Amino acid sequence: MNVSASDLLVVPAVATVASLLPLGRAVRSIGVASGLLVAALSIVLLATPAALAGEQRLVWLAPLGLSYHVGVDGLGGVLLVLSGVLFAVGAAASGDAPHPRGYMALWCALQTAVTGIFIAQDLLLFFVFWEAMLVPLSLLIWLWGGPDRGPATFRFLLYTMTGSAVFLVGIVGLGVAARTFDIVDLASKPISEGAQSLLAALFLAAFVVKLPLFPFHAWLPRAYLAAPIPVAIVLSGIIAKTAVYGIVHLCVGLFPLGILRLAPVLVSLAAVGALYGALLAFRQRDTRRIIAFASLSHLNLIGLGAFSASHLSVEGAAIASVSHGLVVAALFLLAAMLALRTGGFELDRASGLGASAPILAALFTLAVVAAIGVPGTSGFAGEFLILSGSFLAHPAAAIAATATVVVAAAYGLRLLRLAFFGPATTTAFDLRLGERALLVPLLALVLLLGLVPALVTDRISTTDLTPHAQVAR
Amino acid sequence: MTPADALAAAPLLVLVGGACAIVLLDLSSLPGPRLMAGLGAAVALAAGAAAAVLGTGAPGFGGALLRDGGALAFTLVVAVATAMSLALAGGYLAREAVPAGEFVALVLLSAAGGVLMAVGGDLVVIFLGLELLSLPLYVLTALLPRAARGDEGALKYFLLGAATSAVLLYGIALVYAATGHYELAALRGVPPAGSGVPATGLAVRPDPSVLPGGPLILAGLAFIVAGLAFKAALVPFHAWAPDVYESAPTPATAFMAVVAKAGAFGALLRIVASTTGSAIDWQVSLAALAALTLILASFAAVGQRRVKRLLAYSSIAHAGFLTMGSATGIFAGPAVVFYLAIYGALTVGSFGVIALLDNDDPTIGDLAGLWRHRPVLVLALAVFLIGLTGLPPTGGFLAKLYVFEAAIHSQLLWLVVIGVLASVVSAAYYFRVLLACFQPGDASASPHPAPRLGTVVVSVAALAVLAAGVVPGPLLDLAQHATY
Repeated sequence: MNVSASDLLVVPAVATVASLLPLGRAVRSIGVASGLLVAALSIVLLATPAALAGEQRLVWLAPLGLSYHVGVDGLGGVLLVLSGVLFAVGAAASGDAPHPRGYMALWCALQTAVTGIFIAQDLLLFFVFWEAMLVPLSLLIWLWGGPDRGPATFRFLLYTMTGSAVFLVGIVGLGVAARTFDIVDLASKPISEGAQSLLAALFLAAFVVKLPLFPFHAWLPRAYLAAPIPVAIVLSGIIAKTAVYGIVHLCVGLFPLGILRLAPVLVSLAAVGALYGALLAFRQRDTRRIIAFASLSHLNLIGLGAFSASHLSVEGAAIASVSHGLVVAALFLLAAMLALRTGGFELDRASGLGASAPILAALFTLAVVAAIGVPGTSGFAGEFLILSGSFLAHPAAAIAATATVVVAAAYGLRLLRLAFFGPATTTAFDLRLGERALLVPLLALVLLLGLVPALVTDRISTTDLTPHAQVAR
Repeated sequence: MTPADALAAAPLLVLVGGACAIVLLDLSSLPGPRLMAGLGAAVALAAGAAAAVLGTGAPGFGGALLRDGGALAFTLVVAVATAMSLALAGGYLAREAVPAGEFVALVLLSAAGGVLMAVGGDLVVIFLGLELLSLPLYVLTALLPRAARGDEGALKYFLLGAATSAVLLYGIALVYAATGHYELAALRGVPPAGSGVPATGLAVRPDPSVLPGGPLILAGLAFIVAGLAFKAALVPFHAWAPDVYESAPTPATAFMAVVAKAGAFGALLRIVASTTGSAIDWQVSLAALAALTLILASFAAVGQRRVKRLLAYSSIAHAGFLTMGSATGIFAGPAVVFYLAIYGALTVGSFGVIALLDNDDPTIGDLAGLWRHRPVLVLALAVFLIGLTGLPPTGGFLAKLYVFEAAIHSQLLWLVVIGVLASVVSAAYYFRVLLACFQPGDASASPHPAPRLGTVVVSVAALAVLAAGVVPGPLLDLAQHATY
């Protein structure tokens, strides 16, 4: 079978239209199928031995300099698989959303945009998909979200749009000066060090907000809390990874010298953010807030790996991205299942549930263990590579970030102790079959990746760092 | 009248002839407002078709009416925007008891004025176009029978507009005094100041104190630009616009928000192009106007509660983007035409959706519940608002991108930064309107029964905007040929 990168785009686009058919509750199976199909096609493309698998290049709008150039590289392919899995899991978990057709159409539109980001090899095409995420995402939060949805959506919109606006200035400036927007062509053009620093800063404006790097994270807790659980899963699991991909693919790929110059500031912020998020997670009394701040901590750690831009640290960032995506999906699902049984996300509603719901407790424990990076899980492989990869160039930041591992253990174990292993004053029914079917594949992938991290790292090492980027090292 | 004259005047003749026919038909009191509006839309489309079929060619009336790519593009934009506004007006005219014959005839006459401004190759013709554009607009603003507000808006518009005409006329007189010519083609011969080469006009008026490019011609052109900036509602010449847009019948608001700007920018581009290569450098002043407009209009729009007023400020902000495009010299024609065409569809569409509602001047809160009752209208409005914000996959994104690329080519990076930040601010107010439609509410504003023709028109416009975002080929071709 000959798969092209455009097929990855066609699948969710067709699913968007198909979602509008009057299928009732069954409509969510379209979202599940679309996600799984994209994941499968991405695996096929990843197995293709080419720098850019399934490449396609068409002139789209010559007067504007836009070309439709798509292809899948190693990191993009890995994240596409993650994206497919998470969109499938999210769609499967969206069973009780009212107005299922509109919801699923927006869901699949969001998947189309996210897929586009990972295959675009033209800066303007990348930006088109980057901005196209906003509308379905904000509508999903605003129309299906919790009590705080209005202000949360607006804050999210304004933060991300401001970043994107600066990003657009950088794109147009670079493209007009270099007379091309093609990422592959641009990578082979020499850019002076001063220009690289400026352009890297302009591009990063979009990525540090979307990641979010400390201190650009003010939108994060509110958006995670206001969003419906499936949307929170993709928001944290994959949409934050579009920023990681942007940093590695565009900033490190095109402006290695610029990143090198900005790195001291960026890694310091990332290390502070990692520690800060972990400390805040320790103080929360609401499971979703714990997950939100733990996510902030992990995403900053991933940022540390991407900004350090060494081979090891970028590989680590890739594994940690996949691992965090899977783990955060499992945690959000588990938190929702816990809330269903106790009547709310507040931790003090549950105590000692391990006795009455042992499977829930076991899976929750496994997810938390992976989140805090215990060896044998994917969380460990990622963190270890990030920290050891960034230690040589940025020892202080790496040491500070290592402290988060300790704090993470503290907040993770506190969560488990309060909910499951305290005095059994509350009881709950255990996980149903459908709930287990959602969680087990996710956690199985977490364990698999922990044992065989080469599944991801082998895809990264050869393709993603352009010759340009390697010279800088 | 030679054949060339007839060809150059054909679209104008169709519009003016159609307006006269509508007035005569109105005497018979046979056709209802819906039919009348439909006929008017057909006339506007016929004018557009005439222009499209005749294409470009030699100018008529000794260079007074031009038929270059710019003239063609602006004529088409005006024709389509007029046809859309009129097609949306039928139900509105019947509901609000606006005299339909007068309304349609005035809109067609005003459209002829807009075309005349864009095709005029002569300052006097441009002035005639401006007057033909404006006088019907003053009357249209006051045409709502029950509102005292309309009279206030119309009076404000008329008084300020009359002063503007005087300013523009004074500017033309100064240019004539400096060069001895009304023809824009003659301005092209004005050499840079201090080069010592006499201009074409100097043979007529050999006054050594009036050097080409000197203070007299500069002052003249500045007055002319101020006059056009008033019509285009650029800050600081914008004060009339929110009141007028709010108090005019909504279809007329849609019409004037596009056609008055088309006329003003058509003339502005021509004047800028005709002085390219001379000592007169427009870039700084136009860029300053654009920056002021973008900043002030964007922030003013955030505070608005009434949808029409909010859209009025939004259209001022978009005039800022058009001015940014105009400031880019040789890139100006294509970028401005492309922007104007997309902006025209978005603006007529969004005002059009408001015109279809039962409430003539709704607040943002009045839109609550609209999604339940009229989902098609809300979907169309969503496309328009997302397009006005400049987000893909709508044509609005490509339009802004085109202007930004042109501006960066012209070393106007600082202006592009202001532009993108204004877009961010605009997201705040556009999304407020959009999200309000999905709020639970009693939908007091939603129309009963559903307007059929209007729904079709806004749906087609929304689809066109989406198509322009993905395959803008034909529109881009038209824009590419808009050179001067």
